Amino acid sequence: MSSDHIHPEPTTFLRKHVFSIDHKVIAKQFLWFGLIWLGIGGIMAMMLRWQLANPGVPVPLIGGLLFPRTGGVIDPATYNTLFTMHGTIMIFLGLTPAMIGALGNWCIPLMIGARDMIFPTLNMLSFWAMFLGGAVGFYSLFVPLGATEVGWTGYPTLSTTVGAVGQGETLWAIAVFLIGASSIMGGINYITTVIRLRCPGMTWMRMPLTVWGLFLTSILNVLFIPVIGSAMIILVLDRVFGTSFYVPASIMSGGTGGDPILYQHLFWIFGHPEVYILILPAWGVVCDLLSFFARKPAFGYRTSVGAMVVVTVLSALVYGHHMFTTGLSAMLGESFMLLTMIISVPAEILFFNWLHTLWKGSLRLTTPMLFAMGVIFVFGLGGLTGIYCATIGTDIFLHDTYFIVGHFHLTMAASALFGTFGAIYFWFPKMFGRMMSERLGKLHFWLSFFPLVLVFCIMFISGYAGMPRRYYDHTSAEYLRPLQHLNVATTVSAFLLGVAQFIFVFNFIKSRWWGKTAPQNPWDVGTVDWTIATPVPHYNFKTIPVVRCGPHEFSNPVLGPDTDWIYQTEELPG
Amino acid sequence: MSMLSTSTPSFAFLRSRWLGCPLALMLTSTWALAQDKRWGPGEPASDYGYRFGELFWLITTLVSVAFALVVVLLIVPMLRDRARPGHRASFDHGKSLHDKRLTAVISIITFIVLDAWVLVIAMKDLREAYWAIPAAKDPQTYKVEVLAQQWAWSFRAAGVDGEFGTPDDILTTNELVVPKDRPVSFNLTSKDVIHSLFLPEMRMKKDLNPGAINLAWFKPVVEGEFSILCAELCGFAHYQMFGKLRVLEQGQFNEWEAEASQLASTAFDADDTEGHWAWDWQE
Repeated sequence: MSSDHIHPEPTTFLRKHVFSIDHKVIAKQFLWFGLIWLGIGGIMAMMLRWQLANPGVPVPLIGGLLFPRTGGVIDPATYNTLFTMHGTIMIFLGLTPAMIGALGNWCIPLMIGARDMIFPTLNMLSFWAMFLGGAVGFYSLFVPLGATEVGWTGYPTLSTTVGAVGQGETLWAIAVFLIGASSIMGGINYITTVIRLRCPGMTWMRMPLTVWGLFLTSILNVLFIPVIGSAMIILVLDRVFGTSFYVPASIMSGGTGGDPILYQHLFWIFGHPEVYILILPAWGVVCDLLSFFARKPAFGYRTSVGAMVVVTVLSALVYGHHMFTTGLSAMLGESFMLLTMIISVPAEILFFNWLHTLWKGSLRLTTPMLFAMGVIFVFGLGGLTGIYCATIGTDIFLHDTYFIVGHFHLTMAASALFGTFGAIYFWFPKMFGRMMSERLGKLHFWLSFFPLVLVFCIMFISGYAGMPRRYYDHTSAEYLRPLQHLNVATTVSAFLLGVAQFIFVFNFIKSRWWGKTAPQNPWDVGTVDWTIATPVPHYNFKTIPVVRCGPHEFSNPVLGPDTDWIYQTEELPG
Repeated sequence: MSMLSTSTPSFAFLRSRWLGCPLALMLTSTWALAQDKRWGPGEPASDYGYRFGELFWLITTLVSVAFALVVVLLIVPMLRDRARPGHRASFDHGKSLHDKRLTAVISIITFIVLDAWVLVIAMKDLREAYWAIPAAKDPQTYKVEVLAQQWAWSFRAAGVDGEFGTPDDILTTNELVVPKDRPVSFNLTSKDVIHSLFLPEMRMKKDLNPGAINLAWFKPVVEGEFSILCAELCGFAHYQMFGKLRVLEQGQFNEWEAEASQLASTAFDADDTEGHWAWDWQE
């Protein structure tokens, strides 16, 4: 079926490892790229936390090197740059490539039994567009008149020349645009591949839920990334060509002027689906991993798919809850509040299914399983605190405080990151042909889990106590000074969390080159990707497989007492 | 077969060594709790503040119960259903009619308890307080025009004559004086970038957008000095854009207003175009 899409094995180094059109190589490129940027974004977070706990104290170790002009102290403008780039990097250059780029490229063809993506060249282009975006974003830190310092949300008029004169802001917008182009290319590719290249027998309802998550994410990508793209183009027009889409007449020398709120609408029409773009693949992975390691079928497969589809649709209809204090009318405000709250129903169905999958299972608490269960805990915390943010009555006070910071980090950052870690630990043996250390993996999980929960739970307290976000120094205002102990506690937890990630780096690098050789199917899992030999041959499948059962037939009584799993390519006995 | 021993004693190693670090951290936080620090936003000073508090703790109660349930359902299988020789998982796709009914019932319960309950109270609060901006005609309403800029708050009150744009307008910077127990109504806008007027003790927050006027109000019910903070990133001195809110008893306030109005008229400079930024009151 997909024999038309086979490309010959490349022979030159450049075509094999750099400009490869093989989805497996591109997946690894995305993974390395994403992990490096996650590291950079993480170091930025550590510097932010240092400044908040010790305002005006030089950053130890790296401060003198990075900020020689101030003797290692982070000045307010640099602080703003750091949190802007932390957000941008983590979302666009860290989680997007590591979660969607790497996982999507690796899992989709292998799990649906295809030989490659349907558009291999577009796939390569997608990576290099993101690479270029990353390069432009990085370069923007060193341009005349300063890097971007207006927050990752980039609200005008602060982000127009009224508030940000540096070229950094323009380059930031271009970088986001390029990364967006990469996501659109990836999205089109994923959607088409899933629709066209599923192997015989791989019906929609036999697809692993990981693929479902990635598929729905791609739909959101293709629908909503163009919106942020246009918002960024308009921003560049305003900044470079003197238009005034976002600049009101009152602060211009003449003319009719535009409206800064237009940008907020454009940004959040994209921005809210973006949350689900990052979390849907993680949900899919969690659904699968729980079933794989509880040795039980994923409970309520169809309702899980349905819930994810409903969330995908709803995600487009709730963006106004980011703008409750902007001045939305009562009618709009209340509609967005109601729609936002409805999301808790599909989310609750997913939780119900996850917990039911675990119930009376035969749990193998491997590292991927621990991370999957970690997502339930962390996303539970993040999701439930969303109710405070969806309710206008409480959001008025909590908006733009650390409560929001805690909430969105738990939902879109920590959950997506834990999902990514779970996926990396799980697919690493197939990807690199070696096993990651389980011992170090578990250590990494527990030493990440507790500090992570602490970091963001303390932020809930600081937010409830009225601590605004994006403040360089909370000790300057009298009202905030008694809250400094919370900042210190958050920073200590954040440092512990940061240090724990070195366990992962060590484990990843060591296992990549010196790990134990992985068997073909170390986890006893039946999805199509584990039927292939390790390392995966260039064409993935010698003959296109035929799927004969669902992905989660664990502990089916018809399998007999000796085994509790079956490959998807095998017929269920009886 | 599996490379993983199905009886990896991960709980044993949790008990012995790995719990130490987080436990030490929790103890440190508990110690910090005993110090003289603030753990909440303080007593509310506006009538809306009480509504916020009630809603916040209602949601906290509901959410805590829901989360406790999730944690129990997560931990029980972890302890009880671990893989061990001779143990087989139950086989259940969750496709039966019973399962579908259970899913539906739990969804409905979730929606009613977590959402509808909160929604009803929130709507009531919004209709009765947040959206119910007091009429400008009402003599009880104390009107203030706010113009934010990088990085200062300018407040303009109408003064004794009750008209904006007259010489007796009271102009203050980074300090707002209002009467107790009277609704204070704002017209908010900004000169340059978006700011957000955040009165934490009053539990009030509203953005100030350049090129448009936003409305907001609150009713202070406690006398004293309170904080004004900016809650929307507005440049590198964002964190220093704060002011003071003074709430005075009606009698004291009248004295202050008369004096300030008088001073303003005396000091009025018709040529100072910078200072004449008043606009027609918006409702």
